[in-house]
Amino acid sequence: MIDMDKLVDIEKSTQSKQVFWDQDIYDRELERIFGRCWLFLAHESQLEKPGDFFSTKMGEDGVIVARHTDGTLKAFVNSCTHRGNSVCTADSGNTRSFVCNYHGWVYGTDGSLVDVPLKEKCYHDDIDMEAMSLPSIRVESYRGFVFGCFDESAPSLADFLGDWGWYLDTWMVGAGEGAELIGPPMKSILKCNWKVPAENFVGDGYHVGWTHASALEMLGGELGGLAGNRANMPFDELGIQVTTRHGHGFGVIDHAAIGIHEKRDGYAKFLQETQPVVAEKLGEPRAKLYDGHWNCTTFPNCSFLYGTNIFKVWHPRGPHEIEVWSWVIVHKDMDDETKREVVKQAVRSFGTAGTLESDDGDNMVNSTRNNQGRHTRSNTMDSRMGVGHEGPHPDYPGIIGSSFIGETSYRGFYRFYQEMMSAPSWDEIRAKDEEWADCFPNKDYWKDRLAAKAKQGDA
Amino acid sequence: MHNVEAKERVSMQLHYDVSQHYYQEATLLQDREYAAWLETMVAKDIHYWMPVVERRYAKDKRQEPTPYEMAILNDDYDEVKQRVERLGTGTVWMEDPPSSIRYLITNVEAFHTDKEDELVVLSNFVVIRNRAQLEHSEHVGCRRDLLRKVGDSFQVARRKITLDARVTEDKNLYIFF
Repeated sequence: MIDMDKLVDIEKSTQSKQVFWDQDIYDRELERIFGRCWLFLAHESQLEKPGDFFSTKMGEDGVIVARHTDGTLKAFVNSCTHRGNSVCTADSGNTRSFVCNYHGWVYGTDGSLVDVPLKEKCYHDDIDMEAMSLPSIRVESYRGFVFGCFDESAPSLADFLGDWGWYLDTWMVGAGEGAELIGPPMKSILKCNWKVPAENFVGDGYHVGWTHASALEMLGGELGGLAGNRANMPFDELGIQVTTRHGHGFGVIDHAAIGIHEKRDGYAKFLQETQPVVAEKLGEPRAKLYDGHWNCTTFPNCSFLYGTNIFKVWHPRGPHEIEVWSWVIVHKDMDDETKREVVKQAVRSFGTAGTLESDDGDNMVNSTRNNQGRHTRSNTMDSRMGVGHEGPHPDYPGIIGSSFIGETSYRGFYRFYQEMMSAPSWDEIRAKDEEWADCFPNKDYWKDRLAAKAKQGDA
Repeated sequence: MHNVEAKERVSMQLHYDVSQHYYQEATLLQDREYAAWLETMVAKDIHYWMPVVERRYAKDKRQEPTPYEMAILNDDYDEVKQRVERLGTGTVWMEDPPSSIRYLITNVEAFHTDKEDELVVLSNFVVIRNRAQLEHSEHVGCRRDLLRKVGDSFQVARRKITLDARVTEDKNLYIFF
């Protein structure tokens, strides 16, 4: 019996260590989270021409996303409806059809069954071609980022992203043509639960100074002061954390977008030149975020660092293992040389052989593996940093934490995790749309803080 | 940049020298003498490259990856140097206690090029990392080097590393290949 109220204690800001280990919890995650949320599939720039396809996963399900001959995007399950073999074994490409290697069944780029060998002679024409199409998956795009969803009753992608979309627009719309992803993705295996990196990206500004001490020391620059937590920094003035309705969230370090990039002239110039346009288009609050460094997770398993510009999906492979897929974000309007340098720098820090990536893996593996111990697993994990120092903000939607080092967006991630795991239907989730933020009770945090600051300014 | 043409095969003596050089290189790396490796065996104009190779259908006509695209490693000398120096900061927690990394270098084929002091050398590798208690990973692939004769020894000026696995079965590839 899974008791979600026990596994995630919202009042105490704790989570049972079982959520990183137990098979029955994982099985429910596949059903209720990966089975019902919008999951990142690909970027439209990878799927421009009819017949372009990309082979990916949703939870543990193999999925193909393709540009159909009519120009629309389609997604369907990569498993033949006859005996279940894969119908696509390449990472990506361009094709007129997907042919199963087993008996030669042929599917179109919309997943429809178009040909069956020996259909007349051996099936005696007694086969319902339409009913035997590959199971289709809802597919929608947000600013060119393509997501899929198994659940017909789930909200639209735009509604699922909700206020998170408002933040994403900062760079997905940005100053000009928006953003795209550069691939092909690097892929690696990490023996950790999928939530460990998801929670790390959603809200762990805390680990940066310690886990990444060596890399930050080498880098120096804006972030060098964080190395080993040695510098005396006014953290409440350097950025914020955000959580939103459906668990999506991020932390931002102000003015630090390019902090991890060493060769950065082109990128710095681009941000400088385009920031006023963002201010004009989207307003000052988002223009302020535009040159910040963001650590983010789009619930449940798509994380990225805007600024550093690595973009990752954590595909679960059982409760104790994930596949890490990494792309790089670039602004479409950057010149080619700047794009190339951004790709290089992003990969140097957070690619498979990245100087910072290498610091994280061990923590994530051990945070998972230790829970093999029955006694260890019977304890809880803590995410109470900054409780009460958060609330609604006049300029920013969602719940805003006081600093980029805090655990507001951890709490927001697990708040929605618990809700998603508990609710039998999306209707029950929708019914709580007005009250989701009640667990962040200090409604006047920002009102008081901004008033105090204004008073200080007057004095 | 990695397409220097391989001409005729080198002599038995030169092949022996090249092979010995690779064994010495492996020894330095195994002994974590990274600074010495960099100083003596890596040319200042190195391009150190591990492209991402997709699984594509045979009929797929897209180009092979170039250094202008996504790559796991895509370093110049200063960038390799920084990787080396990071390991010396004393704050790379994952390397304390240190990993044991073993190099098996085989199938060495060396060829002359248009330049007298430069060779194209192909080799295969198995790199095995053991760390912590039971952590074990293996990386199998090949290298295509442009190896330059410097004094009595050699320095690598281009290294293209190709891994056979599409999905890296390891938490990272912070390993010198």
